[in-house]
Amino acid sequence: MPGIKRTNVLSGLTVRDASRRMVASLPESATIEQAIRYTIKYKVNAVLITDDAREALGVVSKTDLMTAYYAGLPTASSLRQIMVGPPLFCRVHDPLDSALDIMFSNRVHRLYVHEQGNDPNHAVGVLAYPDIVGLLYRYCHRCERSVGRTKRLQPGEEDMETLTAMEVMTPSVEAYGEHSTLLEVMEGLAAHRFGAVLIHDKDRLPVGVISKTDLMIAYKRGVPVDAPAGRIMNGPVLSCEHGDPLVSAIRKMIFSDVHRLFVHKNIPENIVGVLSLSDAARVRSGCCRACVTGRIRVEDGM
Amino acid sequence: MSVTARDVMDTRFQTLSPETSIAEAVRIFKQVSEDRQQKVFGMMVTNDRAELVGMLSMYDILMLIRPKHTHIWGEMDDIDVSGFIAESCRRAKSILVGDIMTTELVTITPDAHLLLVLDIMLKKHIRRIPVLEGGKIVGIVYISWVFYHLMERITH
Repeated sequence: MPGIKRTNVLSGLTVRDASRRMVASLPESATIEQAIRYTIKYKVNAVLITDDAREALGVVSKTDLMTAYYAGLPTASSLRQIMVGPPLFCRVHDPLDSALDIMFSNRVHRLYVHEQGNDPNHAVGVLAYPDIVGLLYRYCHRCERSVGRTKRLQPGEEDMETLTAMEVMTPSVEAYGEHSTLLEVMEGLAAHRFGAVLIHDKDRLPVGVISKTDLMIAYKRGVPVDAPAGRIMNGPVLSCEHGDPLVSAIRKMIFSDVHRLFVHKNIPENIVGVLSLSDAARVRSGCCRACVTGRIRVEDGM
Repeated sequence: MSVTARDVMDTRFQTLSPETSIAEAVRIFKQVSEDRQQKVFGMMVTNDRAELVGMLSMYDILMLIRPKHTHIWGEMDDIDVSGFIAESCRRAKSILVGDIMTTELVTITPDAHLLLVLDIMLKKHIRRIPVLEGGKIVGIVYISWVFYHLMERITH
C-alpha cells in the first residue's frame, strides 16, 4: 500500500548545510566571568566546556549562567561548578530534520557536531536554531513564490498563502514592572523557559525588555540581584504587527541579532504575544503554506 | 649584539580602563592615532593599580558590531541594511571594554630576542605584544615596528 511521506524545505539538507564550524569553547577551569565575556563577544548562547585534549565535557548556557547569578556564585567561580553534561552531538551528514527532532525531544537549543568516524566527543561545529531559521529564510528568499516576489495585494484582498506572526507566536507574555527585582525577573524566566521578559511602567505600558544577555552583563558588572528591573532593561521594545508576514518578522530578528520579537496588535503598546526563532523553527517549512502542501509526495512501497 | 624587544618596543603608550565604554574607547583610539600620527588599532587595558588585565583591538569591536548572520546578507539585495548597522552600533555603545576585551594574553619581557618575538607574533597571529618587567608594563611591541626594524637591516 502506498504511503505518504511528508517533506518540508529541510528535507534533503544535512547538518553540514546549517551548522557553524566555529565552536566557542573554554576549559572547565575557566571562570564564569570568562564565559560571560565569550557569550557577549561571540554572540553565542552557550559555551562548550572541554578538557585538555579538547574532548567535550559539558555545556554552560546563558540559562546556567543566570542560575549562577540567582544563586549568588562569585563570577570568579570555575565553570566546572555550573556546567551541564554531557553535551548532545549529531553528525555532519545527519539529516537536518532529524537533528531538529533531537533538539525538540531533548528540549535543547543546540547540538554539537562531530565528523563521522572521528572522535564522537570532539566538536567540529555547532548547530543552533538561529542557523536553521537563517537557512529557511534564505530558502524562502530564493523561492519564486516568496512573499517578497509576489504581486502587491489590492485593498481588501487577503493573501491566504502567507503565514503571519500571530499564527506562530506564543500568545502569552511574561511581564514585570520597572520596580520588580532582578530576582523576580530571573524566577519568571526560569519558570516559563523564556529568553526575555517585557518590562512595563506603572501604567502597564511596555518600556523595555530584559533578556538573559542583559542579566549576564549585569552579573558581570556586579549589579545586585535585588536591583530594580528598570536599571538594566533595554529599550525600546522591538516588536512587529500581529498580521505581519512571518518572513518579515524572521528577517527583522535575523538582521537585528535578536532571538525574539514581541508581537503587538494595532498599536505598539498593545503587546499580545512573543515570537521566537524557536517558534519559527518549529514551523519548519518556509513561510508560505504552499511550502507544506505543495511538497507532499506519494512514494510507492512505503 | 643581539636585538631584543627593548630595541623595538614603543614606550609611549596609553591604556584603557575595563569600565570605559566602547564608544569612549573608539574616541580614544582616534585621538591617540591623531596625536601619534600613526593608526592605533589596539590598546592595553589596565586596572586601578596599573596592572595589565586585557587588550582591546579593533577586531574585538568589529566582532561586536557584526551581525551574527551576515553570511545571509550576500543575497539580500532588497533590504535596507543601513537601519541594521545603526541598530548594531546603538547596542554596542552600552558595552564596556571589560565586557569584550581579550584576557588570554601573551606577554614578553624586554630581554626577549627579536626573532622570538617575531615567532610568537606569526604563530599566534597577534599584532601587538605588551612588554612587562617585574609585572609592570614598560612598553608594547607592534608587528609593524618589528617589520620596519628588520627591513632596515635588509636594505642596509
